[in-house]
Amino acid sequence: MRFLSHLVPGPRPAGGLLCAAGFALVLLPARFAPALGVELLAAGFWWWARASEEPAFQVPRWSWLRRPATALWLAAAIEMALPGPTAGFPVPPATLAFWSRVEAIAIVWAALELLAALPLARPFSDLPGPLIAHGAWLPALLPATGFLLLWRQAPRWLDVDEVREASAVLLLLTAALAALRAYGRRRWTAGLRWLVVFDGALAGVLLSSGAVPPWVAVVLWIGACGTHAYLLAAELGGAAPRRGPVMAMLWRMTSWITTAALGWPLLAVAGNLSPRRAVLTLVCGGIPIALASWVNVARLVEAPERRSLARPVSWLIPSRMTPAVLLGGVPLALASAWWVGFAPRPLFALLALVPAVLGGALGLLAVHPAEAGRGARAGRIAQHAARRLFRLVIGLERALVSGATRLVRVLATPLRDLHTGDAQEYVLFLVGVAVLAILLPLLR
Amino acid sequence: MSARALLADPALPVALALVAALLLVASERRRRPLSGSLGLLLVLVPCALVLARLDAAGWILAPLVTALVAAALARESQDPLPGECALKLVWVLGGAFALTAVGFALLALATGVTAPPEQWSVLQLGLSQRMVWVVALPLALLAGVVLLGGAPFHFWVADLFQGASAALAPLAVAALQGLGAMWLVRRLAGLEGFGDGAVLAGALLRTAAIAAFLAGAGTLLLQRRPERRVGTLASLQGGLALAALAISAGRGPLDTMVTAWLVPWAAHLALALSGGALLARLTPADPAAGAPGGHLFRRHPLSAFAGLYALFSLAGVPGTPGAALWLEIARGLATHGQSGLLIALALGWLAAFATVMRELREGFGAPTAVRPERSVPRPVRAALWVSGAGLAMLGVARLVLQ
Repeated sequence: MRFLSHLVPGPRPAGGLLCAAGFALVLLPARFAPALGVELLAAGFWWWARASEEPAFQVPRWSWLRRPATALWLAAAIEMALPGPTAGFPVPPATLAFWSRVEAIAIVWAALELLAALPLARPFSDLPGPLIAHGAWLPALLPATGFLLLWRQAPRWLDVDEVREASAVLLLLTAALAALRAYGRRRWTAGLRWLVVFDGALAGVLLSSGAVPPWVAVVLWIGACGTHAYLLAAELGGAAPRRGPVMAMLWRMTSWITTAALGWPLLAVAGNLSPRRAVLTLVCGGIPIALASWVNVARLVEAPERRSLARPVSWLIPSRMTPAVLLGGVPLALASAWWVGFAPRPLFALLALVPAVLGGALGLLAVHPAEAGRGARAGRIAQHAARRLFRLVIGLERALVSGATRLVRVLATPLRDLHTGDAQEYVLFLVGVAVLAILLPLLR
Repeated sequence: MSARALLADPALPVALALVAALLLVASERRRRPLSGSLGLLLVLVPCALVLARLDAAGWILAPLVTALVAAALARESQDPLPGECALKLVWVLGGAFALTAVGFALLALATGVTAPPEQWSVLQLGLSQRMVWVVALPLALLAGVVLLGGAPFHFWVADLFQGASAALAPLAVAALQGLGAMWLVRRLAGLEGFGDGAVLAGALLRTAAIAAFLAGAGTLLLQRRPERRVGTLASLQGGLALAALAISAGRGPLDTMVTAWLVPWAAHLALALSGGALLARLTPADPAAGAPGGHLFRRHPLSAFAGLYALFSLAGVPGTPGAALWLEIARGLATHGQSGLLIALALGWLAAFATVMRELREGFGAPTAVRPERSVPRPVRAALWVSGAGLAMLGVARLVLQ
């Protein structure tokens, strides 16, 4: 058996393999693949957590990842149990409609929880991954998986109106909170983790709004999320995208343009809504987009060159080629959207650009301030206010959740007593007999 | 043996469960005198025979097997726990048999006949007092429901897993639960001829199944001892059998259900409980978060996986043969539009799934450089492999048939 220990890879590659397999499975169309995929992702985080320096802290911290996996197992089981009349199981229409709704809720629950859109584990992006030394970027995997789940499972939840609308509201709130937190955090890596959450949430709103075809939303999301994920990964390897003024500006522009492109169709389509909903969409969507644009531009601080004489390198390095690839998708996606019928009203098309342009322009001003001192002080106050507002919201959510948990615990205490294993359970037997044999028949 | 025959015939899974139990008896030979081992054999072999020929099991076998199991537990004089367990078994199951006998007597008095199908035909004529059969029918079903171990009668199953040896408990519980299901089948025979009775029995079985799933799910998540968790998983299986009967009762002869679902269910239960109960004995009880894994998991991870496979099958984890049993009942409930019971079943299944995943994580725990010096005895590991391999064969047979 000892030879097995040599075959098992170390915790870092083993967790990585599990996560990679999970990510791939989420994309597969097979019935149980998404559930197995998220289960493997949860297993990857567990594997890293148990091998970390503080397993007693890390294992419970990431144990919530089994919840989305459980929701997806339920969704898959519903689909297996209710395959519809074509599979030879004639299910009454009312039962089918009810369970289709439950299936949609389960899928959206899993995706929203991974996207930090539910109050149960929202602040996970504040924390580095379970592998402290290598894993500052690991939590960024989760919102990305959440959005991919929403996209791949779209046919199973987009048709259920109430689920679609509720998820759009929750995702918009998440985008706002993520932008606020990215603005409030001092560390660039933490800000980037929250920007990844913002990208996923905004893309989710775009998906549920139906403004553009799903694949267009995916291409725009790849642009925005890919930029932030690359920046996050690069921070662990020398922060190449921030070295030197040219690189810093290139990545600032990439980050800003991809975020603006992701938010633009959502705001532009507000022209097709009723005036009240149009204003609501423009305000609720515009403010987070402006804030995220500011963070994208202003927070990407140029890192000093480490060498006195910069080494001549080819243009064909990943840090220079990646922006071209990420930016290339933007016009392609928008042109394709237009080709298939996305034609916003001109006034709204222009209005939709305002938040991103405003946020980006203010961000540029913060990078190169005309007058040092006053602006910086105002910025610090605003950042402090953003932190306090986020903590207030999270505090309120936590109070609500812990209240509900306490209530459930109080209600569940008799369940523990039901199963103590002592001789008093004989009374339970008598109660069971009384209910089953006398009370129930007489009540009918 | 073809895949269809393997799934339909309980002989092979039950034989493997018996082999696993005998391996454990052999591993305990130093601790137990020869007479004790022979005494255990006298219980294990009848339990296995009952499971192998469950479709032919008569009424009398349930009290007989109960008495045998209680006697075997009472013989264990070194430890007070089995004796307490035996006492409880006699109180609960003895009480249930007595109440059921009252129900039988009332029905016989009301109808003048003793065979259930004839009793339903007489009652359909409307000559008897409604009050009498309304009380008598549930009492007549009571022993079956208690034997199946669904909540609120779930505690005896967990007690048996905690109190009895790992060799005895799985086969004893599976045999008693199987006999409970057959008790209900025999009692409900011909009920389709008595509409009011079918409605009442259906409602009772549905209520009992819902209670079994909901209370089972709630208590399972709160269980700290691995043995009691396996016991609660077994009581969820009892809920599954109740749901199967709730679908079929009063809708025609139950023979097809018995051969197509009930007999394979009992055989699978015996095999899955054999692995699950043994694994529970080797799993750390309620370890702290981030604590190192259990002895078996660190020293023999593959054997631990074999045991986990049995536990996964018991919980109906997709890909295991147990999942197919859960799925068949879920489909039946959906087809009959019984969403309330289906919700309870889904909650029970999710709780079972979450529990076995917790078991896996707690079992392996945090990695540690210290390798346990003493290995787990070979017969114990062989028993885990026998149950795991038997279930894998059932799983492959299902895949082939699909």
